[in-house]
Amino acid sequence: MTAPPYDPAADGGLQEQFVEQWRDSAYGCFSSGHKFCREVCPVMQVTRNENHTPTAFHANIVAMEQGNLTVADVADDYVHCTQCGACELRCPNTLFTGDFYRNRTQTVKVVKAMRALAIQSGIEQPNWKRWVEATIDAKSEPVLDVPVSQENVARWSEGLGLPIGGETILFVDCEAAFYRTSVSRSTAQLLQMAGVEFGLMREQWCCGGPAAEMGYTDAARQLADHNVADWRSYGAKRIITLDPHDYISFTEDYVEYFGPDYEFEIVHITELVAELIRDGALTLTQPIERVVTYHDPCRLNKRKGIHASPREILRAIPGLEFRDVDHVTQWSYCSGGGGGLPIEKPEITAEISRRRLARAKELEVDTLVSACVWSERPLAAAGDEQGIDVRDLMELVAESAGLDPRGVHGAAGPQQEVPA
Amino acid sequence: MNTFVAIGDTVVDELRAILGDEGVLIGKAARYNRTRVPAPFPVHRWAEYVPDLVVLPRTAEQVSEVVKLANRERIPVVPRAGGTGLNDGALPLKRGIVVDIKRMNQIKEVDLVDRTVTVGPGINMLKLNEELRKHNVMFPDDPASYPCSLVGGRIGTSGWSLIGGRYGHTRDLVISFQIVLPTGEIIEVGDGGGRKIRKSSSGFQLKHLFMGHQGTLGIVTEATLELVPRPEMEFAAFFHYPSYTAAWESTGALAKSGLASLGGVVLFDEYKLRYLRRDDEAYIPRPDHVRAVVATALYGTRDEVEPAARRIMRIGRESGGTYLGDEISSGDWASRHDRYATPLHGRLDTGEVVPMSWHCEDASINYSQLPAVMEKWHAITARYAEKTGILDDWGMFAYTNGAYKPWGDYLTEIDIGIWEQKLSDDNWPDWVACKREIAQVALDHGGSITACHGATREGDAELIPVEMGGGFDVMLKIKAALDPNNIMNPGKYELDRAYGLDEKVFR
Ligand SMILES: Cc1cc2nc3c(=O)[nH]c(=O)nc-3n(C[C@H](O)[C@H](O)[C@H](O)COP(=O)(O)OP(=O)(O)OC[C@H]3O[C@@H](n4cnc5c(N)ncnc54)[C@H](O)[C@@H]3O)c2cc1C
Ligand code: SF4
Ligand code: SF4
Repeated sequence: MTAPPYDPAADGGLQEQFVEQWRDSAYGCFSSGHKFCREVCPVMQVTRNENHTPTAFHANIVAMEQGNLTVADVADDYVHCTQCGACELRCPNTLFTGDFYRNRTQTVKVVKAMRALAIQSGIEQPNWKRWVEATIDAKSEPVLDVPVSQENVARWSEGLGLPIGGETILFVDCEAAFYRTSVSRSTAQLLQMAGVEFGLMREQWCCGGPAAEMGYTDAARQLADHNVADWRSYGAKRIITLDPHDYISFTEDYVEYFGPDYEFEIVHITELVAELIRDGALTLTQPIERVVTYHDPCRLNKRKGIHASPREILRAIPGLEFRDVDHVTQWSYCSGGGGGLPIEKPEITAEISRRRLARAKELEVDTLVSACVWSERPLAAAGDEQGIDVRDLMELVAESAGLDPRGVHGAAGPQQEVPA
Repeated sequence: MNTFVAIGDTVVDELRAILGDEGVLIGKAARYNRTRVPAPFPVHRWAEYVPDLVVLPRTAEQVSEVVKLANRERIPVVPRAGGTGLNDGALPLKRGIVVDIKRMNQIKEVDLVDRTVTVGPGINMLKLNEELRKHNVMFPDDPASYPCSLVGGRIGTSGWSLIGGRYGHTRDLVISFQIVLPTGEIIEVGDGGGRKIRKSSSGFQLKHLFMGHQGTLGIVTEATLELVPRPEMEFAAFFHYPSYTAAWESTGALAKSGLASLGGVVLFDEYKLRYLRRDDEAYIPRPDHVRAVVATALYGTRDEVEPAARRIMRIGRESGGTYLGDEISSGDWASRHDRYATPLHGRLDTGEVVPMSWHCEDASINYSQLPAVMEKWHAITARYAEKTGILDDWGMFAYTNGAYKPWGDYLTEIDIGIWEQKLSDDNWPDWVACKREIAQVALDHGGSITACHGATREGDAELIPVEMGGGFDVMLKIKAALDPNNIMNPGKYELDRAYGLDEKVFR
């Protein structure tokens, strides 16, 4: 269990450079060490193992600096994170003094950086490795056993007559393109109905976010380079994302990769649809007789502060009884679907989702509405166990707008049905 | 002299048989991360206190089996709850086995008739109250560490609550508990009688004995706690004053008001104001005549709190306070858990900002002695700040300390920033000397070294025999009788003396 002491000669000084880069930020936490972040962490709530706390994620770096630990000692611990961002929000260093000192506790970045260091040091997680290799191979994520390939990437849109290219591009997440196609079809048809002009990419590759989250920085960059080149080839200006993970990739990772030259406006679908409803471009007339609660996707709520628009949309749907839980309480909620967790530690993801659904059940709802396709698979599996339907917000909006988008949703295994 | 043996493979196998493979952690990261608590710590000596392994039990029976094994093999055992203790209680001084109880976090019974909730010791109060909310009741133990400390640690330290004036402190709110003794027996202790009996005079008052011992007398495995109605109304009022003396007098007047809904009164001194003004101008108004602040908070039914609020406002004003307004009052009280341990506020003499760790001295001091203690503590801190160049005086709070009758003595806190990265073998003794002088002042003024954190750190621990007097000999006898092999959290509180060991206890 115990790795040999660190030898900078053996890794070309990689770990040393890593420690140099992250040490000061790690001390910001180490010097507090009060663990206000612990009980909001969705992974920690399940494992109850202090190795998986943000506090440990920072303290390990100090221990590395002291020569006490090496990346080999800690690599597995950093797999235990969905990169939900709750700990950063709950950290008093961010909450109280952060603005003044321009400081933010950066646990998510630390986790990504440590994962990257592990990979560069030759320590790989087998399932992540396979996942990223397959992604590079097919240019899209291997979302279960669905035939993922470039010929199929736009197959979800059959019959919708969507153009290629243009100023506004709808980026359809891999999970939505191949698996939960009802979300992509709902979204596209809503945009068409509202008269939004948009096209699809010539060749859409995975956004690279998952690879980046797992620490495969080169692979992530390769995918990003392609996508940006594709957008530029027809002069795209605006990218609409329907998945919060893509929204993070395009508003954070890509900005880092491409610097000041990165010219795209990134719009998230919930913000856009809320606006379309507000402006009267979309009218929701069909009553939806459901009792629902809303799951704040971590990347929207905790990482991007988007929690108002989904609620605004839900309140615009006639017939719906909406039992809300405020977005701050939801800091400690998660589906477990992010950060590569379901690929390496599916049992933890399943338990996180189970607990999320149990909370929904207490509200006596029949439906849990999410706005993140990646959350919807584990949530739907837990929903099946507990008798609660899990739907995407766009699916409900489309239904209420009188559309019949078809496509596939739900938790069950690989889906290959092609929309009629 | 070390009476303890290294842990061999057969012990690890036995532990795995008790706890399952995933309940025994031997990895380095697991052990390093269970060495530290937030109290300032000489980073360069981290490796000296790393436990041999960590266990994550789920049941009292598992804890009992682990302790029996450790007792048989003479292996130190250190309970760890939230790891937020501010005096190193959970730090494994002699290595051994850390029993991390975080997986024992179930809510076992909510009894709305006899008004109790029974929980595992690994549950956090905020999480517990999230669940209790639907029954419109709560467990009102509300330390500043409310979001992070756990019930087991609250019992292990005998904690203090910010609203203890109204609801009582941990000892008043824990009705009874189950504890595994150092020899492995599982017993129930309370005031006497069944699990849910609040007051009894049968036999010895064992509940008090088994609280606040910092894990030196056993490991709590279940606790039955008080439930109170969720308050219908909360009212906070903050006043400012032109001098510390004016604020101190006003504090006394407010605390003596006799209002049952009074959660507590908090006195902020000039240094504390200076510290808080470092980043947040809006919070403490800038004018020079604002020299001290007093905060109060009321909790209860609307019928109690509304008239009490009028009374509090009148006393505050009549005793020289100027109200700071609703926004600051309710806003700052709402953030009462978060204003500590902000390393970013650390400043060197030169004004340079460096990350500093929070040290919190928490003596119990009588009201009459507060001004004198305040002067002396600041003087001591200034002296050592100058000498070491790594300390920063973050000011003082005095909080009402009594349960239900919050007037006679105060949890008196001086917060000191320490640049932990610069702690070394050279300046560590200075820091310890600083702490010892601070503790000595508390004793000289008839106080106690610690209201809630415990005093097991060097600089405090050696004064415990002085503070306890003849009682310390009784402590030694009890320790030796209950823990014949000195396995429970050895090295703490100078209790090693019970075994004829007189070695230096800490660092
Ligand atoms: C920001 C901050 C604010 C704080 N504010 C307050 C405050 O307002 N009031 C206050 O009282 N304290 C406060 N503290 C100190 C600390 O939170 C308390 O001492 C708390 O009771 C410790 O709980 P814990 O769960 O973290 O225990 P730990 O630190 O894990 O343990 C504390 C002690 O109890 C022992 N122990 C742990 N579990 C058990 C068990 N099951 N059986 C027996 N012994 C056990 C340990 O061995 C150790 O000696 C604060 C700390 C921080 C960081
Ligand atoms: S991440 Fe923030 S809240 Fe968590 S231990 Fe570190 S400083 Fe404290
Ligand atoms: S980002 Fe989320 S999962 Fe990761 S450590 Fe923070 S709270 Fe836990």
